[in-house]
Amino acid sequence: MSKENWILLLIILLLLCIPLTESRFYVFLGTDILIFGLFAVSLNLLLGYTGLVSFGHATYFGIGAYTCALLMKKASVPFPLAFAAAGALGGISALIIGFFCVRLTKVYFAMLTLAFSQIVWAMAFKWNSLTGGDNGLVGVPFPQFLDSKVLFYYFTLGVVAGSLFLLRKVVNSPFGRILTTIRENPERTEFIGIHVKLFQLIAFMISGVLAAIAGALFGIFNHSVFPDILFWPASAEVLIMTLLGGIYNFFGPLVGAAVLLFVRMEVTSYTEHWPLILGFTLALLLFFFPGGIMGFLQARFARPGGNR
Amino acid sequence: MGQSFRLCPCDSLFPRGNKAMPDPSFLLLQSLNGLTYAMFLFLIASGLSLIFGILGILNFAHGSLYMLGAYFTQQFVSLFIDVPGQFWWAVVFASLTIAALGAVIERFFLRHLYGREELYQLLFTYALVLILADFAKIIWGTGQFSVSRPALLKGAVSILDQYFPTYNLVIIFLGPCLAFTFWFALLRTRWGRKIRAAALDREMLSSLGVHVTRLFTVVFFIGAWMAGLGGALVSPVSAIVPGMDVEVIINAFIVVVIGGLGSFWGTFLGSLIVGQVYALGILVFPRLSLAFIYVLMALVLIIRPWGLLGRPLQR
Amino acid sequence: MKRFLQIASICSLVLVFAFSAYGAGKPIKVGFPMILSGGGALFGKPSSVGAEMFVKELNAKGGVLGRPIELIIRDCGNTPEEATRVAREIILKEKVDFMVGGLTASQGLALSEVAKTEKVVYIAPISKTTAMTDPGKLHPYVFRAAANTNTEGRSAAVFMAKNPWTKIATLGPDYEYGQMVTKAFVEWMKKNKPEVQIVHQGWPKLGETDYTPFIAPLLAAKPEAAFLSLWGGHFVTFAKQAKPYGFFEKVKVVAAGEGGSPETGMSLKDDLPLGITTNAYDVFYYPDTPEHKSYVERLKAYTKQEYAPSWAITGYIAVQFLAEAIEKAKSTDKMKVIKALEGLTINTPIGKQTMRAKDHQATRGQVWGTTAKVPEYPFPILRPVEYIPADNLMD
Repeated sequence: MSKENWILLLIILLLLCIPLTESRFYVFLGTDILIFGLFAVSLNLLLGYTGLVSFGHATYFGIGAYTCALLMKKASVPFPLAFAAAGALGGISALIIGFFCVRLTKVYFAMLTLAFSQIVWAMAFKWNSLTGGDNGLVGVPFPQFLDSKVLFYYFTLGVVAGSLFLLRKVVNSPFGRILTTIRENPERTEFIGIHVKLFQLIAFMISGVLAAIAGALFGIFNHSVFPDILFWPASAEVLIMTLLGGIYNFFGPLVGAAVLLFVRMEVTSYTEHWPLILGFTLALLLFFFPGGIMGFLQARFARPGGNR
Repeated sequence: MGQSFRLCPCDSLFPRGNKAMPDPSFLLLQSLNGLTYAMFLFLIASGLSLIFGILGILNFAHGSLYMLGAYFTQQFVSLFIDVPGQFWWAVVFASLTIAALGAVIERFFLRHLYGREELYQLLFTYALVLILADFAKIIWGTGQFSVSRPALLKGAVSILDQYFPTYNLVIIFLGPCLAFTFWFALLRTRWGRKIRAAALDREMLSSLGVHVTRLFTVVFFIGAWMAGLGGALVSPVSAIVPGMDVEVIINAFIVVVIGGLGSFWGTFLGSLIVGQVYALGILVFPRLSLAFIYVLMALVLIIRPWGLLGRPLQR
Repeated sequence: MKRFLQIASICSLVLVFAFSAYGAGKPIKVGFPMILSGGGALFGKPSSVGAEMFVKELNAKGGVLGRPIELIIRDCGNTPEEATRVAREIILKEKVDFMVGGLTASQGLALSEVAKTEKVVYIAPISKTTAMTDPGKLHPYVFRAAANTNTEGRSAAVFMAKNPWTKIATLGPDYEYGQMVTKAFVEWMKKNKPEVQIVHQGWPKLGETDYTPFIAPLLAAKPEAAFLSLWGGHFVTFAKQAKPYGFFEKVKVVAAGEGGSPETGMSLKDDLPLGITTNAYDVFYYPDTPEHKSYVERLKAYTKQEYAPSWAITGYIAVQFLAEAIEKAKSTDKMKVIKALEGLTINTPIGKQTMRAKDHQATRGQVWGTTAKVPEYPFPILRPVEYIPADNLMD
């Protein structure tokens, strides 16, 4: 097994051991990081691999969260079904929205993703009778067979690990390689006969499904779903996580999520000026560390290699 | 007459009250409100559009510059107490301060990101949003500030037996005046011609010996000045609060998208449209008016991505 | 991962050392998530200051059960989402058993849910929505020290009904608080003065910066009076924008949302409409009791402000309820404290307050009055002013 796979195994073992520390706090933090890690990695399929800058990724996270929570709370649908429905609806909405978005490039693409995310947000915010409006959906039940924090943590770990495993297969497949080719030069890729827009759309859909799954997990973890997870700063936040960890590395976004969540928690207990610190960190990142944390680590320690 | 309290969107399709036919004076008043809002939007959006057209950067921090314009106006007003015409002096000083801030940001920071991918430039402007917002909080605290209207314009004029604030009327006239001045400057002055040329072909301009980097700083200076001016002029009308930066930037984005990124008159048209949609949308769809404007934005991007008056994108 | 655990354990060690150096007994930790940034900070900050002052004074007298109280104040942001996250972080990281905080109605509901799932005693100092204490949503852990939307809406209706107006409009922020307080107002009006007609209802979004599109339709419906529920800074914005339209001359206003707070008066100064009926949580010039005077002096000294902030009382009373409940229960066991809170009557600087056992709601009234310019102060205040008790207005 390669060195990288050994490190992965070690990390998974450590993650498995977290509940053994008997600390509710670490279980809480761990679940949070896993969920947002999945969310960030799903965004990176678009950002790092396909070169599409989405400013509205929170849409699918939110759709997943609301779908799962609504089905479970209002229609008493059993969890496995609600969970699957969340992923499916995330994929379908990504398909619809993506269809319009991939026809545009760069700034216009980003603007349209932003516009759609605001529309979905406005719907969630105003449709009081369905979504509870700005009060959100409070009191989302834990699924029956997972009714402890620890069990839910293991479930999340399983789902996230599984999703990442599948995604890794996708990324290392010919399909994934075509995506990176598209990122490098869309026109040339079009010339060699690849239907660029179709591939972009498929990538869009996959990332939508994964983001929705992360959202569904989040809704249950948080016991409540609020429209704020759809508001555009949420999309900016996950972009920052992804960039922080490194968009040219598969696990970069996961690292970014972990670091951001942890640092935010620490910093906010000492100061009110978290936005200032975040802004400065982001600026430093953009100027001096464009490869993010993983980019920096890889440049220092690993042998020069391509995108893994 | 039971006013049942259902909170569903179908509720809003039937406006309440016993208005058989809205009388024209009221519609006119509402429309004038929309126009006032449109003018403020135009001030910010034109700067945004200019910066995008020339530098290719969508400046998230434009709303922050607007907010700082308001804060600085408030500061200068309290500094210039007992000075005649204190409000207008404050407007001048505040907008110039913001313009200088914009030039500094471009010259010392943004410039170094020009070679990079657009994502980095975009996210840097977002980092600025965070930094500037906290900066405002550190200096002025979390309280709410208020600036009084200038003494001359405190009252209201009577239009068709309704009252409309004099100050707002002045803004409605000021807006197009500023627009024409700018357009004229773009058309006739040397700098204006350089700016228009830079929008069309940056490299050619550089090879002609024009100092393009200095041009960029000037453009950012002007764009920031417009935003600061918008914030300064809005300070007697609106609340100067933390959060006004985030609120306004999205609306500015919508304006430039609808009008056409980089198009001057497009921005003007876009502001008018967004202003009226807001004002009249409340009458027709009171609860759904929030989503309206985003739907409009999406429709424009889908059907005609380069905006109503923009140039079609090169494929 | 290992690094992360290392850093985390060092941090926890440091914190533990910090706590043990704190005082005689182990401190009783109380989480205090409050809005300290953005639009709501105007009230969130003074509220936390009031709580801080109470805790400081209490600890100087020996604390509760011989232990100091440690207030863990964190910025909970303006949304229920952030408040939920921050509250859970405080609860799990600092291991608090008690929580006081949240400002908006949505935050109150969200924190109530967190209190339920994490099993933490929660007292809401400001959130007014009756939904928190409604039979469906009430659970043992949630309490409210603030007034509620029923009390506020109905008090306004009582004032409105004293006048001969029959055509009334409402204007309130389109979210939980605005909807609930307007609902309470309308229902009470209908019940007690059926000839009243609600001719128009305006619903600007919470935090709207431009109210002008809402002013014209309201005026067009030609109401004689209006019930406003815009609070704090939103009321300030609205008043400034409405004044040139002659709004306050054309329409008589009864306003909920603490437009009578000195903070609002100081912010608006000459732009504050005179002759409107509005309320406040606390005003430094009334009541004239020795307890209140002493409180105002201490608050002035603590904040080093010339005029004591009126929102400080919210944090103060909420923490006071908690502290006295712990004292009465002679324990920090959550169940015992809950029992002690039910039916507890305390002496606050604004008079006696009782926490009802049946719905965990305090019998909190508010100060109502008419805005007027007075020679004593450079900003308008409420005069005449009176305290409207809640007892007859609650279900």
